[in-house]
Amino acid sequence: MNQNNITVIPRHGDNFKDKLFLPAIYDGVKVTFKHLFENVTDINAVDTLEYPEEQPTDITSRYRGLHRLTHRPDDSIACVACFMCATACPSDCIFIEATERDDDKDEKMPKSFFIDTLECVFCGYCVEACPCDAIRMDTGIFSLTGNSREDFVMDKEQLLSHKGAFGEEVSCARD
Amino acid sequence: MSTASIVVAVTAFVLGALLALLTIPVLVWLERRIASLVQDRLGPNRTNVFGFRLGGVVQSFADVVKLLLKEEYYPSHIKKGRWLFMLAPVITFAAALLAFMAIPFADTLHIDGEALRVQALPIDYGVLWYLAIGAIGVLGVIFGGWMSHNKYALLGATRAGSMVISYELPLGLSIVSFIVTYNTMDFNAMVQWQSGTFFGFLPAWGIFVQPLAAIILIISLFAETNRNPFTVAEGESEIVAGYMTEHTAMKFAMYFMGEYVAMNTASAVIITVIFGGYQVPWVSTEMMLAHFSGFALSLMIAIPVIVFLLIRWMRKNNTVRPTVSTDSGRNFETKVLSIALIGMTLLIEAILLYLAFFANSPLGESISVMLFQIVVFVVKLMAFNIFFILIRWTVPRFRYDQVQHLGWYYLLPLALLNLFVTALVVVGVNS
Repeated sequence: MNQNNITVIPRHGDNFKDKLFLPAIYDGVKVTFKHLFENVTDINAVDTLEYPEEQPTDITSRYRGLHRLTHRPDDSIACVACFMCATACPSDCIFIEATERDDDKDEKMPKSFFIDTLECVFCGYCVEACPCDAIRMDTGIFSLTGNSREDFVMDKEQLLSHKGAFGEEVSCARD
Repeated sequence: MSTASIVVAVTAFVLGALLALLTIPVLVWLERRIASLVQDRLGPNRTNVFGFRLGGVVQSFADVVKLLLKEEYYPSHIKKGRWLFMLAPVITFAAALLAFMAIPFADTLHIDGEALRVQALPIDYGVLWYLAIGAIGVLGVIFGGWMSHNKYALLGATRAGSMVISYELPLGLSIVSFIVTYNTMDFNAMVQWQSGTFFGFLPAWGIFVQPLAAIILIISLFAETNRNPFTVAEGESEIVAGYMTEHTAMKFAMYFMGEYVAMNTASAVIITVIFGGYQVPWVSTEMMLAHFSGFALSLMIAIPVIVFLLIRWMRKNNTVRPTVSTDSGRNFETKVLSIALIGMTLLIEAILLYLAFFANSPLGESISVMLFQIVVFVVKLMAFNIFFILIRWTVPRFRYDQVQHLGWYYLLPLALLNLFVTALVVVGVNS
């Protein structure tokens, strides 16, 4: 072991000034009082979001918000009920029931599509797994409220009704 | 007893009770607001009654209602001595409240040759009263911790006991230095002593006359009120809530309020003993009474200026940023409060004008001087309370053996030395 690699951290508190405590307390009070005075004289400069009245503006397009199911350009559902998302889901919160699709666009579509958002961990694996760009988390919705547990189970219609918040509206993988 | 003396006694008692009790919600709110402003947050600012939020102070009253409506829960393992378990918070609260009663809020009122003390308890041994009653407060803490039959509570109580032996001696000795300097045990006489000047230009406040004793007194009183940096009887990280772990609802609230009353009392003692009490520096009561028209004129100039600054501050700060969708009635509140403030200013101006130039009433003059002194006292009291709160959000805590070390190795010898030097100087000056 090379002696030069050892850094000796200087110890404090041995001199008279440090043992007196009062100079340090004075310095500390100076800092806290400065903050107090600045904030009392201009309360609106406090960088706090007054949440329900003021909404966050810094949600980026990569933010994983509430899920949505995308549409094709002709407004029909993009999902083909391949169960990839439900398989990838680490918290097993996606419940899909498939049915036959008769408009010649694809062979299958979901009959029902539930996401239990109380179980969901918002990891985004479903979005990664989807081969059809049919499920996305780009709604920018970060707060979800309800009066019962059932309110938090999103069904197909609710998921289809969510709008993308960052411009891309329809599925990029189905046409 | 004359009518005047009864009126003054009742008024002083009501004033004392109000100052001690009504400051609790204000102090709780101040603590939370100042903590958040120091940390660049906003703190409670939403609770309101008909749109009047007064900066959020209404929150404290909502908290009181919540604590009153909480379930009264008694731990089932407390078999014997439940009455003492319940009495303990009351002891702490009552001791802090009673200790406050010896503080003078204004100079002695002279009406028809009668000297009437403006003190809730008109006694002339206030220092002894404060030391005796103030020391009882910790008994409530020790009883409560012991009766809880809980390890955390017991540890908290023993730590509170260790605190007492660390700070009581320096506290008593520093106060003895002040007693020797002022040559009195009466709080009011102490304040009168401080109305002169020191070295010709400094106000003769205790902090300038006895700086070392003043610092020891402030440190000991921080320890006595159990506030940072000396919060050893409770500590979330090691002993949960300490002595009040098992206390719920109003029993907990009693301890909690007792802490704030104790802080208020300590502030009152500090400003009375070392910051000139109800006195304005360089101006004694006699001077104000002798030159009443000058006093009234300067007040008549000062009050509108203060009210103007207050309204300007309110118009700037009782608002929200443009990005917030609604101001929740803040504009309306500012308007109503401004009108009320201006109305009160006009009323005070009229009364002062009448007293100064048209009426020749010594009674009215002395009463207005008394009211002015009460206002000065309250302003100083609140300023020192804010200092208490600011210290809490500035410095970290001492370990409880470090507190004992500080008390016995540093404060006690310093207090003794200071007392010795003070006695020498006082004897030398007087002989």
